[in-house]
Amino acid sequence: MESSKHLSPTPTDLIDWLNAEGLLELDWDFPEDGDLFAAGLDSMAVMQLVVAVEDEYGVELGPDDLTRKNLATPTTLAALITAKTS
Amino acid sequence: MKPDVRRFDVAVIGGGSAGLAAAVTAAREGARTLLIERYGYLGGTGTASLVHSFCGLYLLREEPGAVLANPGIAGEIAALMTAATGIGPQRLGRVDVLPQHPVEFVRVADELIAAEARIEVRLHTEVTGVSSDAQGWNIHLAGRAGGRTVTARCLVDASGDAVVADWLGQGFGMAAARHLQRPAYVFGVMNPAGMGNEFHLRTAGLLVEGMRAGAVSADALGLSFRASGRPGEIFGTLDLTGGETPEDFDPLDASCLGALEVHGRRIAAEAIRWLSGRDEAWRGCYISHWPLRAGVRESRRWLGEYVLTGEDLLTGRRFDDEVALATWPMEFRETARGPKLHFSLENRPAGIPLRCLKPAGIERLFVAGRCISADHEAQASIRVMGTCFATGEAAGRAAARS
Repeated sequence: MESSKHLSPTPTDLIDWLNAEGLLELDWDFPEDGDLFAAGLDSMAVMQLVVAVEDEYGVELGPDDLTRKNLATPTTLAALITAKTS
Repeated sequence: MKPDVRRFDVAVIGGGSAGLAAAVTAAREGARTLLIERYGYLGGTGTASLVHSFCGLYLLREEPGAVLANPGIAGEIAALMTAATGIGPQRLGRVDVLPQHPVEFVRVADELIAAEARIEVRLHTEVTGVSSDAQGWNIHLAGRAGGRTVTARCLVDASGDAVVADWLGQGFGMAAARHLQRPAYVFGVMNPAGMGNEFHLRTAGLLVEGMRAGAVSADALGLSFRASGRPGEIFGTLDLTGGETPEDFDPLDASCLGALEVHGRRIAAEAIRWLSGRDEAWRGCYISHWPLRAGVRESRRWLGEYVLTGEDLLTGRRFDDEVALATWPMEFRETARGPKLHFSLENRPAGIPLRCLKPAGIERLFVAGRCISADHEAQASIRVMGTCFATGEAAGRAAARS
């Protein structure tokens, strides 16, 4: 069976996935470098994000990974996940 | 000692944000007013449940600067709070809120009441039922000294739970258990090293680590922290799931609510124990106080002469008989996974007509606060304390004049 896991998500994949998981409500044209914090990413959503990233991508994000810089945009978040998978 | 008055012009059930505003306003209108509160101080959700922001005080706007939506008593209380805390309105995302401290709110309420000679407050008093006759309302009170009955020409239900509708056996609705907004369990914590953005993100990571290690329950996914405004003190807010089966959640049932609160304390204690043993910024932290009661967001809603709808809020509908403005986005908390905010078109405020404060077909009865006549969606906006002050003021005025 084909795996649904995307080992290296693109920023666009992440936008679709954040919406599908119900973690954020991003517009269909949300930019790849759009501000996720301004879009409602708070500490509670970050906890749920970490749990969901582990389920979807098999990556454990730890306290040191969760910086404002790493979580700022779909682009930086995709880069963080990709870096942790390799 | 004050004489033992048993006849009042206006009786207000519930001394939360709506009942406080209703009683003060009725007294200022000249009514001899009785305010009945089951706890030992006033303020309701803003004191007993430790909810530490006044939401809904200000208009939604792009431009910087907070503008009061409902001047009047809401503005008066906001000014007293700022004088007590030294903190003014803050913009969080698209909304302006006023951080408030529950300990200060207790005193602000005491002082507002003390200034009104026509108000009598009965603390530590439950209302056990009401009945009406040609003269007005008979209100049955119970306390440790026993029961007694007082009378009032006009009644304001600011109970939050539409208790008068329940006693009269008519005129209320309630969302299905799985859709009811989940309650918040707020607690005080002392001694964290900092409260910057990075601290919050790091804390989120630490809590997930605790869940992986089996030391923290997954229910802590509904936990967040905010500075209290006082040095060394923060508040933790845990959104409760409502129990293992969402269909069994009943905020009116004491055993259900009590069990949820016990669970909330367990989650909070686990989380603080894990964080303080795990991270330098949390070392030496401890829980300094529990709320008297979980912050219930929604239960019974009155069905009045008009039922405010989510569509009215979304489109910013206005009414000829409006008595207050609702400005807070509809904030859905149907799960314990954080708020979902639905904003009105172009940030428009919606009017709340007096008909939403008047139960259909019942004379000399008004409603204020989170149980006014609104559907589940509109209630997600009008429940906030800033709006409760305004509907309380309107109900108190209408009651005193009728």
